[in-house]
Amino acid sequence: MSLYQITSLNELPPGARKLVTVAGKTIGVFNVNGQVVAVQNICPHELAPICVGRVDGTTLESQPGQMVWGRDGEILACPWHGWEFDLLTGQCLTDRRRLRQFEVKIVDEIIFIAVYS
Amino acid sequence: MNDLAWIIDTDIHPYIDPQRVADFLPQPWRRRVQSGNAGPGHLGYWNPNGVRRNDIFAPDDSPEKGKRVDADAATMVKHHLDRFALSHGILNADLINVGLSPETDFACAFMSSVNEAIVTDWFAVSPRILASIHVTPTDPQHAAAEIRRWAAHPQFVQVLMPSGSRTAYGSRLYHPIYAAAEECGLPVAIHPGTEGLGVSGVPTAAGYPGNYLEWHTGLVGSYLAHLISLISEGVFVKFPKLKFVMIEGGVSWLVPVLWRFDKNWKALRQLSPWLIHPPSHYAYEHILLTTQPIEEPENPQQLQNLLAMMPIEKMLMFSSDYPHWDGDTPDFVGRHIPAAHRRQVLRDTAWALYRLDERTKNTNSHHASRLIQNLKSKIQNPYVPISNHELE
Repeated sequence: MSLYQITSLNELPPGARKLVTVAGKTIGVFNVNGQVVAVQNICPHELAPICVGRVDGTTLESQPGQMVWGRDGEILACPWHGWEFDLLTGQCLTDRRRLRQFEVKIVDEIIFIAVYS
Repeated sequence: MNDLAWIIDTDIHPYIDPQRVADFLPQPWRRRVQSGNAGPGHLGYWNPNGVRRNDIFAPDDSPEKGKRVDADAATMVKHHLDRFALSHGILNADLINVGLSPETDFACAFMSSVNEAIVTDWFAVSPRILASIHVTPTDPQHAAAEIRRWAAHPQFVQVLMPSGSRTAYGSRLYHPIYAAAEECGLPVAIHPGTEGLGVSGVPTAAGYPGNYLEWHTGLVGSYLAHLISLISEGVFVKFPKLKFVMIEGGVSWLVPVLWRFDKNWKALRQLSPWLIHPPSHYAYEHILLTTQPIEEPENPQQLQNLLAMMPIEKMLMFSSDYPHWDGDTPDFVGRHIPAAHRRQVLRDTAWALYRLDERTKNTNSHHASRLIQNLKSKIQNPYVPISNHELE
């Protein structure tokens, strides 16, 4: 496993994303309200480039007829079919499949991700 | 206040910007209005992801960087057909919706112009681009004339109607359309998405669905109604060479509905005495389905079991629905089709149905050049003849 330097916290403020190619993989690095996460740019459903999708909140589980909005900035929606994924866990909200996540290390404000090459 | 001001106006219309209203809306409705979908004015059902995919632009590392892939023929050929190893693609424009306008003269004129735009802007660019003749089913005579007007064009391969309708499509009102299509050797197809629009009926037999999820899931209802109507009213007895393509209506509902239809026919055949075979016989001889959106059960074997119950090798054809939000790629669909029938589903059935042998062979013949001359004079627009090497 190797550590790859991606960018700095300064250049990736909350809400920002960066697509990088390391070790032959395209990876999206997202600053989710201060927490940096990295996921592979492949939707596990039909292999779409998920990391270009909308990052947003969503409607939370609620009683019929209630609309409760939440999780702003935590949900990545696939640009093809709109499947929503929790960026913090990689889990799809509606299917058992999940995003491939990579470990993120931050040293002196510099963001690294760990990838097996 | 002005002493003379004593009149009360009981109706003034202020302009209130919907985006200003959005400032006061809770989510997710603020997102909806910000996306431009405020409801009435078009269908109103809101897809939070947008009906068209977000990534419809050519990739950054291509010369077409940033161009819409779905908006011109050359970009589509390169970034959709070539990308997915598609030899041909059939265009079905979303504008088919206008065919359900209650303003019939406008709807007819509009649909004719859709066809002209396709010939001018799309066919002329590549012989790999095929299309449906878009017609207005609320005026069957006009639709039939439109079919005959274009049928000789080698790139128009079928007739397209919206699946939203005022009356189910077996009705004899529509038979002039089928007569023209059969005479011209063209299949008739329907495409969903207009249910509840214009003069079409309520989107479901149970009334109005409450959101896009309900509406979209229930679209299969109009397919069911059209299938039953077409068979029961004897369309395929009257037009024995007619093929009917049910685009994007799903696949796995068909067999159980036909079981029910056959069972009812055994008791009620005297109401449709022209049906000398069980209804499923006509379905399997005349109806074709397209794959997308292929059903995705948690246990994929269950879909395999369903596909094994119908002759998919002659009635199922690949479709991507590109660039709509629920589209499928060929490899994704291919994995769901048993290997023994994959070739038919991905290519052979469509090749035969749309007579592509004939269309691609005749492209340089005398007949084709006469045809092209004829079309040129008709629409007075440049038309590029098809060359054989482009078809390789």
